[in-house]
Amino acid sequence: MSPALFLLTSSLLGIMVLAAGTYALLYGAARFRRSRALLIGAGLAYAMVVLDAAGIVLTTPLAPAWKLLIAASALGYFAIPPLTWRYLQYTHREEEVHL
Amino acid sequence: MSRSKNLAVKYLTAAVLLFGVMTLSGLMSAVYYINPDFLYGLLHFSVAKILHIDTMIIWLLMGFMGAVYWFLPDEFEREPTGILAAEILFWVFVVTVLVVAGIFTFVQWGPGTETTLWLFQQGRKYIEAPRWAAIGVALVMLVFAWNVVGTALRARRITGVMAVMSVNMAPLVLLYLIAFPKIDNMAVDLYWWWWLVHLWVEATWEILIGCIMALAMMQLLGTSRRIVEGWLYIEVSLVLGTGILGLGHHYFWIGTPDYWLGIGGFFSALEPLPLLGMVVHAVYDAGVHRMKTSNRPALYWTLAEAFGNFLGGGMFGFMITLPQLNLFAHGTQWTVSHGHFAFWGAYACGVLSVCYIALQERRRLVTVNGPGWVWAFVLLNGGLIGMVGSLLVAGMAQAFFERAIGGSTLDAFIAGQENPWFKLGMYSRFGFGLMFAAGYLVLVWNLLALGRREVAVVVQAMPAE
Amino acid sequence: MIWKALYPGRRPFAARPLNDVNLGYITMPFDDPAFWRAGAISTTVVMAIVLVMLTIDSLEAIAPGGSHVPPFTVVNRHIDYVHNAKLGRDMPVVGEDEPLFGKAVNSPEAEALIAQGKLVIQSRACIDCHTFMGNGAYYGPDLTKAWLDPAWEAWVAITGAESREEAMVRFLMAPDQYATWQRRMPNLGISRDEAVATVAYLKWLASIDTNGFPIHFGRIKVSE
Repeated sequence: MSPALFLLTSSLLGIMVLAAGTYALLYGAARFRRSRALLIGAGLAYAMVVLDAAGIVLTTPLAPAWKLLIAASALGYFAIPPLTWRYLQYTHREEEVHL
Repeated sequence: MSRSKNLAVKYLTAAVLLFGVMTLSGLMSAVYYINPDFLYGLLHFSVAKILHIDTMIIWLLMGFMGAVYWFLPDEFEREPTGILAAEILFWVFVVTVLVVAGIFTFVQWGPGTETTLWLFQQGRKYIEAPRWAAIGVALVMLVFAWNVVGTALRARRITGVMAVMSVNMAPLVLLYLIAFPKIDNMAVDLYWWWWLVHLWVEATWEILIGCIMALAMMQLLGTSRRIVEGWLYIEVSLVLGTGILGLGHHYFWIGTPDYWLGIGGFFSALEPLPLLGMVVHAVYDAGVHRMKTSNRPALYWTLAEAFGNFLGGGMFGFMITLPQLNLFAHGTQWTVSHGHFAFWGAYACGVLSVCYIALQERRRLVTVNGPGWVWAFVLLNGGLIGMVGSLLVAGMAQAFFERAIGGSTLDAFIAGQENPWFKLGMYSRFGFGLMFAAGYLVLVWNLLALGRREVAVVVQAMPAE
Repeated sequence: MIWKALYPGRRPFAARPLNDVNLGYITMPFDDPAFWRAGAISTTVVMAIVLVMLTIDSLEAIAPGGSHVPPFTVVNRHIDYVHNAKLGRDMPVVGEDEPLFGKAVNSPEAEALIAQGKLVIQSRACIDCHTFMGNGAYYGPDLTKAWLDPAWEAWVAITGAESREEAMVRFLMAPDQYATWQRRMPNLGISRDEAVATVAYLKWLASIDTNGFPIHFGRIKVSE
């Protein structure tokens, strides 16, 4: 792997996780604020995750198995916020305060 | 007040004081990179670094113990077993730490003999303390474990949170035994050393802070036990499910077989996923209470914990965890940037949250608020993020010039260290370190001053709304 | 469309029904902590068992004489680190006889040297300035392949030594007199015997197969 590609690959991986975190944050905010605007923001953040993962798969010299792992992680990042939110709503349904 | 809670306050106080020593020695360590003649011949870099990293481990450990001693009597509705032994051992712990700090500073090293290892210096990272001190620490931890497990046995009942904490005590204490032997073979030494370090900070400590945060959430937000316990078990599954074999990400280059590249890389790459769940959970908790609580600093430090853990451990770790990338980033300031962010996010923020929780009850405050904690919060987190960002720049430059291009020789090392981006990173890190240190001073002032001027209100503090 | 997939019922913000989630023939007791506790216990046990199994195998590989770690008597031989085209990475290569200071050591002597060397490394806390296989502190250079560092050639002349190992010994005994750079190593009172043992340790260390770390040691590479 060339020095430049190594820095690019590492940066793309970091940005992917950062974008996933942004998506999670905006998704949660959208759910409790019931805001379409925030939901769109969350969607845009996730779009960044997808673009970034595509960038990793298409431009970096990682072996296919690792690219598959990255792609699968990207899917996982998509599912985690709504699944977690549903679980939290469900378990908090009888609490004094719930969303 | 409960003896256990009094002991908790002592431990939390000692923890915050050691946090200060960590900060000061951290600033010193940063100076050497800028001025290499700093204290040359008197106190070299390794002494400052040893003080810095060892006080980090100890202050966090004391913070955990303080948190547990704080919550223990409420969880079991009785004074913990062996509390007298714990009270005595607190002073043993403090004296040991002070003596060892003195030895590190004034004796520094000894001849290459077993006696040196017993009396002055063991020279293994994080566990440099001489064997006599390691015995003291092991004793302290054994009694701590007994305080938890013994109380459960005596009470003949146990909550889910305390059951997880009790079971976690066994590996927590047993792993520390790795601090004792002198292993000639560096590959074997590092193999076991990583069992201690990784299975502490990326396994048993995660479980411990998870239990502490569970107890804190019940108190801070009034969340029901059933919910908190379910979440704790999910966390345990995900953290240990990824973390136990994620240990392999330390076994890429120490002479171990190359199957660790695949195993370690794979499980380590999965580690951000549970942390993402924690972020969502934090947003939910913040939203559900509309950010209102009677103890704002405690809530904010808990949120900082969730985000810091995700960014510091998850994001920064993910950048360097794949083996083909780690090959370049390994053993550079990139590692330092990840380490600082991860430790801060995963543990320090949680301990500070507990400090505010204990403070509220201790000083009988109806609400905990004010500008002081906000300044401390902003300066500490801002300073930390600035340091970590600076180290990231320096680390990327080092990985690029020393390893990827330079071939990792002495000349390549020097070229990397002299690189303008690297040097910029070192200056910038020091600057933000000063900001962090200012935040620490404000924090201490805030913890000392909060509630003192108010008329003491004899009302049990309740979570608001 | 995405929301329909995740939220059957077209109303993502509506309240959820208050029964267990039904997945056809399985009803998941998400509410019951005991369900998640079972998951936590089984996950931990399985992972721990796998770790123990891999540990047993790894310890065999990293014992001196194992697949990745040469016996201590390798200090009597020439060590090199070259690119292996078949494996696609750098590999240490053990060559001809090349005893330290011209004097070969037998197995117990080699073990004693390594043991003493490790005592020096620990008693002086070398790992708190330097790294070993990338682990430690980052103030001084990594020592994994220090034995093979091309810089020693110049040091042979600077220290007035006859060999690389002698230059290393003289440096370790008085690093304050032989400043490599503006960042100087302090004098740690290392005796000649200790220095010899440390050099032997570093020579053995350089022969360990570290899966290619550090990459292309001693060779500069700007692009692919």
